[in-house]
Amino acid sequence: MNDNKLIIKIRQMKKTYRIGSITVPALKGVDLDVAPGEFASIMGPSGSGKSTLMNIIGALDIPTTGTYLLDDVDVGSLDDNELAVIRNKKVGFVFQTYNLLSRADVFANVELPLIYTRDRIKNKKARILDAIESVGLTDWIKHRPNELSGGQKQRVAIARALINNPSIILADEPTGNLDSRTGEEIIGIFQRLNREGKTILLVTHEMEIARHTQRIIYLRDGVISGQEAVADRLIAEEILAKMPRLEDKI
Amino acid sequence: MRGFLENIKIAFRSLFLNKTRSFLTMLGIIIGVGAVVAMLSIGTGAQESVISSVQDIGSNLIIISPGNPEEEQQMMGPQMMFAGDNAELGPDDVTAIEREAELVTVVAPVVFGGGMVSYLNKNTQPQIYSSTENGLELYNMDIERGSFYNRGDVSSSSNVAVIGQTVVKKLFNNIDPMGKIIKINGQNFKVIGILEPRGTDSFGNDQDNVVSVPVTTAQSKLFGEGSYDMILTQSINEESIDDATEEIEDILRRSRGIRIGEKNDFRVRNQTQLLDVVSTITGIFTVVIAGIASISLLVGGIGIMNIMLVSVTERTKEIGIRKAIGAKNRDILVQFLVESIVLSVTGGISGILFAVLISIILNNFTVLETSITTMPIIIALSFSTAVGLFFGIYPAMRAARLNPIDALRYE
Repeated sequence: MNDNKLIIKIRQMKKTYRIGSITVPALKGVDLDVAPGEFASIMGPSGSGKSTLMNIIGALDIPTTGTYLLDDVDVGSLDDNELAVIRNKKVGFVFQTYNLLSRADVFANVELPLIYTRDRIKNKKARILDAIESVGLTDWIKHRPNELSGGQKQRVAIARALINNPSIILADEPTGNLDSRTGEEIIGIFQRLNREGKTILLVTHEMEIARHTQRIIYLRDGVISGQEAVADRLIAEEILAKMPRLEDKI
Repeated sequence: MRGFLENIKIAFRSLFLNKTRSFLTMLGIIIGVGAVVAMLSIGTGAQESVISSVQDIGSNLIIISPGNPEEEQQMMGPQMMFAGDNAELGPDDVTAIEREAELVTVVAPVVFGGGMVSYLNKNTQPQIYSSTENGLELYNMDIERGSFYNRGDVSSSSNVAVIGQTVVKKLFNNIDPMGKIIKINGQNFKVIGILEPRGTDSFGNDQDNVVSVPVTTAQSKLFGEGSYDMILTQSINEESIDDATEEIEDILRRSRGIRIGEKNDFRVRNQTQLLDVVSTITGIFTVVIAGIASISLLVGGIGIMNIMLVSVTERTKEIGIRKAIGAKNRDILVQFLVESIVLSVTGGISGILFAVLISIILNNFTVLETSITTMPIIIALSFSTAVGLFFGIYPAMRAARLNPIDALRYE
């Protein structure tokens, strides 16, 4: 792989929404690079343009002006169908509210991206089982989301995000609905995936969570107001080891 | 297409999750398709039994009846047989045909009537069918025991009678009717023959509830002198049926002194014309059914569209998830389209099963004969598919066009 090749390369990207006759700028010129294998986080108050930026990076939306290259593909120039292909193959989403299909079991939820992949897939079943195993849910394959805890649901979502081996994993407040211990476990999974070479972009408003990543990008009023490398990075496994377990107390 | 099976599976799963709703939605299609297939099976059954009774009578048969054909065509039902008071058929017409026609074999006049028939203290009111000795062959009856009346009985106006099976049952319990004296409208008649059973005709009439006497006896002693209700004859073979019909028409016009340009005061019909009438009636029936079918399928289709729109709204979030994960607009379109087609086709199949059930019940417990053919089933299936497609396309397009960001945010 070329070392100066970037997974994400955003230049002077603007996004304005039109509400009736007035136009509302959500992003006012963003420049952002994400290198392969990086684990970065985006922080910002609500209304800063975080969601808009994530939607565009996730190919759910396109910029009004400026360029966005994802794996050298100019996402801004794609039509609806091409965007769907990008979302399917190059992006793995993990949402705050899990967004699993409530009627489908764990296996079917993890399989879902493969259904929309047009190419023939070899060892499809083994691949799904591997993904489920990597998040530790092998015993839960036949269960539906309503039979799972929040942490388990988020693990299913991570397995689903991994299944198509995407260029980048986008996690939008993945610990927002979880208690601190479960949240720490989820962050631990991301850190492990990152060590295995995955590129991860995480959106959060908790500094504590952001400090688990390698770099924090601050977004304010539609522009990137600052960036910093995390000096004393938190390691989820160490924190978990120190965390009191409920079982120890009773 | 890959994923198509997957779509059908998803469709069934989501329909199964809302069993009551799916069933109620399908009910429109079930009733529509069921009614149409059941009614067509009754129509086909009736048509088949008319055709088979026509073939029973013999396809060489020619029927001459009084009255103007153009006027009669306006009328339906039993009047058709006995129309035209002023123009009568008499012995002269029979003689004319017997003497001049070369393409027919035998000729027989027929007079129908009713009357009280009794033996000892039992009585019944059968159809009285009077004719000449030729009537047996032309009316396609057979003698089981004894004999039919002969030429001598006819010319001497003998008081002899041939009776059908129903009359035998009603009047003579375990007694042998042969040679017994029965009373018809108060007159004594000797039973000389018993007819073979014929069953019911296509309108459900009992064809064995009949007594036949010589036409001369009927006119002189039972109904009074008068005209014939019809004259029966038959062509020498099936090929010459239309020529024979024309020949008789020419002979009767000449013998009855009808001038060129004047209309006939009688009708000459053969079985092929009867079959034409049957197919005309069937045609009208089919148009009416098609009307009912299209209305019920329309209503059923609107029901499907309604429920699919509800379903799209309910599952906005699911659509958002699928799109975020890489479903194209087309994938969502196909998913919802398959669902509405599955809904309507399941309805169609249930409707067909429902119709088959009705048809079996009618066949076994009523006089109606039904016949289910593949044609209505194929049509019903293709129409219910078309309904699902047509009424599913709008909800499916709405689902496909949903913006993934808004759909994901939907709660």
